[in-house]
Formats: sequence, structure tokens, C-alpha cells
Amino acid sequence: MGVFLQYTVIGLTVGSFYALVALGYTIVYGIIRLINFAQGDLSMVGAFLGWTLLVSFGFEHLPIYIALVIAFVIPMIGTAVVNIGILQFAYKPLLRRSLLAILITALGMSLLLQNSAELIWGPAIQAYPPNLLPLSGFFVGPVHVTYVQIALVIASLLLMGGLVAFVQGTTMGTAMRALAVDHDAARLMGINVDAVIRIAFVLGAMLAAASGVMLGIYYVQIQFTMGFLLGLRAFTAAVLGGIGNIPGAMAGGLLIGLLEAYTTGYLSGTWEDVVVFGVLITVLVVKPTGLFGERVAERM
Amino acid sequence: MIAQLADRRIGRAYATARNRFGRTPFWSRVIAVLAIVGATVVINGDDYVTSVAVTVATYAMLGLGLNIVVGYAGLLDLGYAAFFAIGAYTSALLMTQAKWNFFATVPLAVLFTGTAGAILGYPTLRLRSDYLAIVTLGFGEITRITFNNWEYAGGPNGILGIPWPSVFGFELNTQADFFIVGLALLAIAMIFAQHLDHSRLGRGWVAIREDEFAAESVGVPSLRLKLFAYVMGGMWGGLAGAFFATRIGAIDPTSFTFQLSVLVLIVIVLGGTGSLPGVLLGALVVVGLPEVLRQFADQRLLVFAVLLVGMMLLRPQGLWPRIRRKPKPFYGLQEEEPGDVAERILREHQAQIVERDRRHTAAGHKSSSVGDVLLDVHGVVQQFGGLRAVDNVSFQVRNGEIFSIIGPNGGGKTTLFNCITGVQRPKRGRIMFDGRSLVGLRPHVVVSRGIGRTFQGIRLFKNMAVFENVMVGLYPRHRTMTWQAMLHTPGERKDELRTLQESRRWLSFVGLESLAGRLATELSYADQRRVEIARALAAHPHLVLFDEPAAGMNPTEKVELMGIIRKIRDLGITVVLIEHDMSLVMRVSDRIAVLDHGVLIALDKPAAVQENPAVIEAYLGREEDDLGAVKEA
Repeated sequence: MGVFLQYTVIGLTVGSFYALVALGYTIVYGIIRLINFAQGDLSMVGAFLGWTLLVSFGFEHLPIYIALVIAFVIPMIGTAVVNIGILQFAYKPLLRRSLLAILITALGMSLLLQNSAELIWGPAIQAYPPNLLPLSGFFVGPVHVTYVQIALVIASLLLMGGLVAFVQGTTMGTAMRALAVDHDAARLMGINVDAVIRIAFVLGAMLAAASGVMLGIYYVQIQFTMGFLLGLRAFTAAVLGGIGNIPGAMAGGLLIGLLEAYTTGYLSGTWEDVVVFGVLITVLVVKPTGLFGERVAERM
Repeated sequence: MIAQLADRRIGRAYATARNRFGRTPFWSRVIAVLAIVGATVVINGDDYVTSVAVTVATYAMLGLGLNIVVGYAGLLDLGYAAFFAIGAYTSALLMTQAKWNFFATVPLAVLFTGTAGAILGYPTLRLRSDYLAIVTLGFGEITRITFNNWEYAGGPNGILGIPWPSVFGFELNTQADFFIVGLALLAIAMIFAQHLDHSRLGRGWVAIREDEFAAESVGVPSLRLKLFAYVMGGMWGGLAGAFFATRIGAIDPTSFTFQLSVLVLIVIVLGGTGSLPGVLLGALVVVGLPEVLRQFADQRLLVFAVLLVGMMLLRPQGLWPRIRRKPKPFYGLQEEEPGDVAERILREHQAQIVERDRRHTAAGHKSSSVGDVLLDVHGVVQQFGGLRAVDNVSFQVRNGEIFSIIGPNGGGKTTLFNCITGVQRPKRGRIMFDGRSLVGLRPHVVVSRGIGRTFQGIRLFKNMAVFENVMVGLYPRHRTMTWQAMLHTPGERKDELRTLQESRRWLSFVGLESLAGRLATELSYADQRRVEIARALAAHPHLVLFDEPAAGMNPTEKVELMGIIRKIRDLGITVVLIEHDMSLVMRVSDRIAVLDHGVLIALDKPAAVQENPAVIEAYLGREEDDLGAVKEA
């Protein structure tokens, strides 16, 4: 039982990173029906920006709160700028054309981000400062919980809460939801569609960057290829929860994190993907719209 | 002057040569081109160039297979490497463990991957395309990891020492040998792909890609066809995999990653989805470009990514897109006099009816003749949440009449059509057609029972030519099997020719023969409606349901439409019409049913419906002053 709970703690921590990236997939998909394959790589970019600030610029020596604020805020802004660049340069000319062409472009952007990162930061594994947050923790019964885990999960929850508040509570959020239902009708109501799409890309990138920095803090090691697996898991999470659905992406992320932790713990790391995808396929066969998804009209 | 003449003569000679080349069978052209390419590479190329060419051939085979799944059927597959892997492992295990000859392993590898395609396809048929992307991706990863953890197949080390292929005791072990074997396999893959492309199966796939709902509603069994696409796509992948195994000599799970699936997808999108020459070109670019970029050393993937994005931006339709527009679609068909056409359609239709009635009676049902009840709708209820779209509606349509359903918007007319055609299942009630129940049948089965339909919002297969649209409508009448289509047998050829001929007749029936080669989207609104009518008629239905056929037509076109509707009835086809244009409805209908808020409020002859106070109220409200409006129309 204690072991089980221990895996649960690990799973929830990792799952909250997945959930953040999955939210990015879901927001972008909800609005332009594009699977933005570069989402995981945006996380990687965020992680490296954070690393540059903390290690190369030496901000790790500042007081911890200031260092953390810098290490989160600036990568989030930087990654958002990158994502807007991708949108404007690569996706926008294709938005009204073939979805398959955008998909290939997205795969191309993923490749481009990885190789640019390799060029800038090198192919080697880089390390986050290991003692940024206190490594110690405490026991709840038999379960060991570290402060890092608590801090990261709380930070993810705050970000998700912020997103929900934004989408549900602001005019821009309402416009986003309107756009998800019908582009033309939204445009006729005077919504600036391009602006809303930009906001979606900004939000997606910021969440991805935050999760990247968190991954860096949690796992310490980062590499330019880390975005691939992360993106894959997050995409799976988004689909599992019902792509286009915000609570679905969060639940999907946590679920995937848990599945991964249990499989690694009880079975073996090599079967992780088999279990994750197996569960996904089973869920989709039983409920073709994902756990929380509603029917959406096809566009492809 | 003389120069001009000479020019023209050369031009004509070129055109003739081109035409002759174009008319030779496809397989002979493929062999000719590949033989030239093969000879050039083998004679001039060194080992390096030849080995790159072998890889191009492998990717082209993979591309041809994925093209069936993604390009034709429109099913996004991100795990195609799985089929490549299964083919490679099957062939490699048979060669190393059972000591089979390479060429003997190929059919088995193809069979295995085809089965794998069915296993992947069957549970996922109903998924939306984006979800399909992740499921196929998962399938690819699961396959790779399973091989990675499978001790018998060498686990992560894979299978080593796979023998070279040999023919009559001669070992084929140079790059040039591989290239020749690869080209031979590619030729087979290419020829079969082309045959499928130009068969009813290929048209059915493209129809599903363009509009699955419409395809199903004109008689294409979409689920079965999608499954076929997976099986066929898998088979091509298996062929490529077997070849890869023997050529490389040692395979391990790292050869079959997600990246490979993505590269193959890039091959077909870059080349132009659905285009066979595009696949070859795409394979050449995807394999050749990184080789050319070797001078960039470490940055070559980066440059590749930039070029890829650039190409997609400049040519989103691909480098060599498939254009389905055809200047002379009926070239080579026997000419028919316009008067003849009507005669032939009538004869053909009657023959069809007799044949169907014979089968109908043989199956123990009673066939209806003119004046009998053909369609019996009884107590049908359809509900969406709290809204009763159709509320306990009953009426009977008689064989040979023109029956109109009118009523204000939101009256439940289209919902009723959807219930009849199997798109929706009514919550309650009975729908009998020709003595048999229609409730619970899938739309394509309803079509084969003898009901055709058109849609309120036009749903043509946009990127197909007009005549192809009508040919899709003929799908349920084909009798040829898939293997016949693949081999392009004489029987299949005859069937195709007949289909083409009939599509021409139906187009001339609605007056569109001259536009047959255009893309459906290039036609005017009214003409598109007429194509839909021809498509619905093509299967020789007993009953057609037209959903607002006059919408968007100008007065002249409406008059023509009325003529067409009467001509259809004269063929002996019963017509049910939903229409808002009162003058058309009043002039053409034998009887009219009026639906308001899902309830049948009147059912009578046109004149009587016009006088019916309930109808007037439904249209105009209670104001006494407006009584005249309906009458006037």
C-alpha cells in the first residue's frame, strides 16, 4: 500500500507536467483543429531558456524567490514569442488550406526547434542547479513527499486555475470558446479571429514553457530531444481526456502520469508506452470521443 | 510560314506520340520508365548512388502504401512504420529460422501485414481522423516496443545475418542487384496501386475522404472500405519491409521508429497526396535531399526542416498533385445520339427494376406495382433532447407519384429524410419500403434497397470530377471483386467501361454532359444540384428523396428542374420532394404533406392543401389579411 501511494505521488507530479503541455495542445486544437506537434518542443525551449538564465547568467545565486520568478516568467514570455513567430510564419498562410499540409509543417517546426536548440545549446545533457529548491521532504505514513514535488504540483494547479479563470471569466476567454464552436459565426459577431488565435498560441506556449522549467527543476537533466517524449505523452493525455476539452486535458495528464508511474514501478520501464497507448486505444474504442470529449464536427 | 508549318507538324507528332504513350497499358509504361531509370543508375552510378537509389525505392513502396490509407481514404496514419516492421520481421525470421528463400517470404510478409492492418483498423473505424492519428501512433510504438522486448526476435539487438536474396542459386549481393530487385517490387506495387486508384474501390476511398457521410448515403459501404484501406496499406508496407530486411542484412527495432512514419507521411504530402508520380517524387526528395545536404554536416536536419516548411508554404498541394479534372472524360466511348440516351436509360432502368423485382419476389416479398404503397411511414417519432423534431408522423407514398413535403423551417422535414435513409434511427415508429422495414439499416444498405437521395446543403465530392461523382453513385451496382480490380481483369474493365458509359448517360439526362470533366466545385450552384440528382439516380433507385433541389436556382433553372423531375417520374421512379418554392411544388406534385413543428398537419392534393386553414396558419400566423399569400404562389 505504501509503495502504491509512493508511486501515486510520483505519478501525480509528472502527470501535472503532462497536463500543462496537454492544455497547450487542447487550446490550440480547440480553436484551429491543428495538432501542434511543436508543443513538446516548446517545453524544451522553455527549459533551456530557464537553464540559461539560472546557470549561464548565474541567477541561481539570487535569493530563491527572485530566481524562481525570473526562471519562470522570462522563459514563458520568450517561448510565447517563439510560438507566435511559428504561427505567423508557418501556420497562418496555410490555415484556410489543407490541414494535412499544416500538420506536416508542424512536424517540420518540431524538427526545426530541436535542431536549432542543438545548435544553440549543444547536443550534450545540461543540468539545472540541483539545490535550487530544498531536496528534503517529509513522511506521511510510509510515503515520502518532497517539497519540490509539492511546490511543482501547486504551481501547476495555479497555472491551470489561471487558465480556467481566463477562459471562463474574461471577454477574450469567451471569444476563444465562441471560436471553438464556429469560426465564421464568431467573426460575424465582431471577434478578431486572428487575435484570438494568437492568444491561444501565447497561452499554449506559456504553459509549455512553465512545464519545461518544472521538468528541469524536478529531473535536473535536460536535453534538446526531451520535447519529443513529453509532447507525445501530452498529446496522448489531451486525446485521452477528449481533445479540445480543458478539464479533460488536466485529467488526461494526471492519468497518464499515474499510469506511467505504476507501470514503471510494478512492471518495467520498457512497457511504459505499451501500457499508456494500450489504455488510450481501449478508451477510444469504448468511448470514441475521449473521456470528457463531446462530439465535434470534422473538418478534415 | 514553312517554319510554322513544321512547328505544327512537330507539335502534332509529339501530341500523337504522347497520346500513344498515354494509351498503352499502365503496366507497360511503368516497366518502361523504371527500366530506363534502373539502367541509367546501374550503368552510371557508383555503389553510393545506387544504395541511395535502393533507399528511394524502399520509401517509394512505403509511400504507395501509406498513400492508400492517407491519400485516398483520408485516414491519418502516424504509425505506418509498424507495418514496415512486421513485414521486415516476418521475412527476416522466415529467412533466418526457417531458411526460406527471400522471394518465398514476400507473400507471407504481405499477408501478415495485411492482417495487422485489419487488426488495427477494425476497432478504430469509427474514430475521428485526429484521434486516429494518435491511435495509429500508439500502434506503431506498441509494435516497436513489442519487438524490442521479444527475445525470440533478438530483443533490442534484432535479427542479424539475414541472407541475401537469391535467384536459382545465384546470390544477389551487390547494390545494383538490390536496386533491380527493388525496382521490380516497386513496379508491382506501382501497378497494383494504379489499378486500385482507377477502380470503384479507389473512387469509393476518395469519396469517403471528401465526404464520408455523403459517400455512405449514396451507397458506399464506408466502414468496409476503410478497413480495406488499412489492409491494403499494410500489405504495401509489408512488401517494403521484407525488401528492407534482406537488403540491410540486420534489422533491429530502432529502424522502425515514429520518425520513419513521419518521413513516409512527408513523402506523400510533399509529393501530393493521392498522386502516384507524386509519391515517387516525394521519395526522391525525402531520401535524396538529406544526402545532397551532407555538406552541411551537423546542420543538415535543420536545413531539411527549413526546406520542408518552405515547400509546404509554397506548394501546400504538393510537388506533383493529383488533378482529377479531365478534359475528355468520355474519350474512346461509343457515341450515342441524345434521343438514344433517354431510350437507353429507360430500357436499362426497366431491366434493373425487373431484375430487382425478381430477386425481391424470390426472397419472398411482394413487389409493388404502380399505385401500390411504396413507402409506408407509420407513427415515426424522432427526438433530440427535449425537442420532438418529428412527432408521430404517418403517411404513405404510392409507387409512381411525385410526393412533396412542405412546411416552415424547423418542421422536421430533413429529419424525416434522415430517418428514412438510415442516417438516424427513429425513436419510435415503423418505416416500410417495398414491404420491408428500413429501421436500423445503415445508409448504404438503404441505397441498395432502392432509395436515392440528395442533400439540402450540396454534398458533392468536391475534388472529384463531375463524372466521377456520378460513378460513385453507381458503386452499389458494381459486381467486381477487389482482387479483380487489383489485377485489372477483363471483367473489371468491362464493368468500369459500363459504369463510365452510364455516368455519361445520367449526366446527359440532367443536361450536364459537356461539364462532365470539371471538378464538382467548379460548377454553378444549380449545376451542382443537378449533379447530385444524377448521382442519386445512378444506382437506379425505386424512390428518390430530393431535399430542396430548387434552392438557389433562378426561375429558368427551376423550370428545367421541373422538367427533370417529371422525366424521372416518367422513368417509373417515385419522387419525394422537400421544397420551399411553392409554385414548383404546386405544379409538379401529385400530393403534398405539410409538416409543422414535427407534426403532420395536412396531406392532400395541391389545390386542397392551398385552401387548408391549418396550413395557412402554419405559414402565416393567424392574421386574416395574409390569407392570400399561399394561394397566390
